[in-house]
Amino acid sequence: MKILCQVGVIFGVCWVSQILESLLPFAFPASVIGMLVLFLLLITRLLRVEHIQEKSDFLLANMAFFFLPAGVSILNYLEELRSAAVALVVICLTTTVLVFGATALSIRLTLRLMGRGKGHD
Amino acid sequence: MIEWTASPFFGVALSVLAFWIGVRLQKRTGLVICNPLLVGILLVIAVLAALKIPYENYRQGGDLINLFLSPATACLAVAIYSKIQILKKNWLPVLVGCTVGSLTSMGSVWVLCRLFGLEEALTASLLPKSVTTPIAVSVAEAHGGISSITVVAVILTGIFGSMVAPLLIRLFRVKDPVTAGLAIGACSHAMGTSKALELGETEGAMSGLAIGVCGLITVVLSMFLL
Repeated sequence: MKILCQVGVIFGVCWVSQILESLLPFAFPASVIGMLVLFLLLITRLLRVEHIQEKSDFLLANMAFFFLPAGVSILNYLEELRSAAVALVVICLTTTVLVFGATALSIRLTLRLMGRGKGHD
Repeated sequence: MIEWTASPFFGVALSVLAFWIGVRLQKRTGLVICNPLLVGILLVIAVLAALKIPYENYRQGGDLINLFLSPATACLAVAIYSKIQILKKNWLPVLVGCTVGSLTSMGSVWVLCRLFGLEEALTASLLPKSVTTPIAVSVAEAHGGISSITVVAVILTGIFGSMVAPLLIRLFRVKDPVTAGLAIGACSHAMGTSKALELGETEGAMSGLAIGVCGLITVVLSMFLL
């Protein structure tokens, strides 16, 4: 019953988020709305982490698995991919390194400007 | 025999089995390239192709698993909330880092797509590829992208990011766990976060935080830029 309630709470939050998504005048993903709603509920202590701990641990620990069917759906787009495969791989690899570098350097600079950089970095 | 696979149980069971084999393979070999998700996807595709099982049959179970993506993303809130002290202390670096990271990602993807002469639909599919799948897919779809290509790009980015994360930390001489975690999350979302969790608890939480913040920033940026 404990886990059942947790499933109910989390799925309930997701359902409300879907409704909010359809009401919003601009495109904003329901999953992110769900994250914000849940965060708000936790901060205002309307909901405690204990109320959803096990279910949330289960979802977070198995996150990668839930992406599997999405990946398999590549099957339907092999034609489109064939023409752009090289570009796709090059773009993904290059930008990953760029984003890591840009993020790390900007944070280092911010920490240094805040006068905390030396001890940490 | 093929008609037996037209059941949601088939897709779920096959997916779990394929993923489990991937997890075992990675434990046995210790190789980053044996990523359970990558191995799982390839195994399922191989089984479907070898036994000529229609994708529609697999999809009945696949849709059930897809259903959990949204709740899993929402639960990132729990991971962030449990690290709220670190967030309070570091809100400025978090905000600056994630904004710069998201801008760099979308900017560099846009430039490279132009260089390769890719069509608009492909560009729209790739632009949000550094953020977590549910967010990336909704951003791509809202701007005329093809969601499956977004998924491929997100996964490719995630696998690559989690593979090279330790290398990048050395390359950019990052010694602060907060910086390392945020940078990993910004460039390779949840798959990178699974690697960051292995590096340390702070790295993991910060990486999870970056998924959410970068996701939000990317959604907002895409509303203005696209």
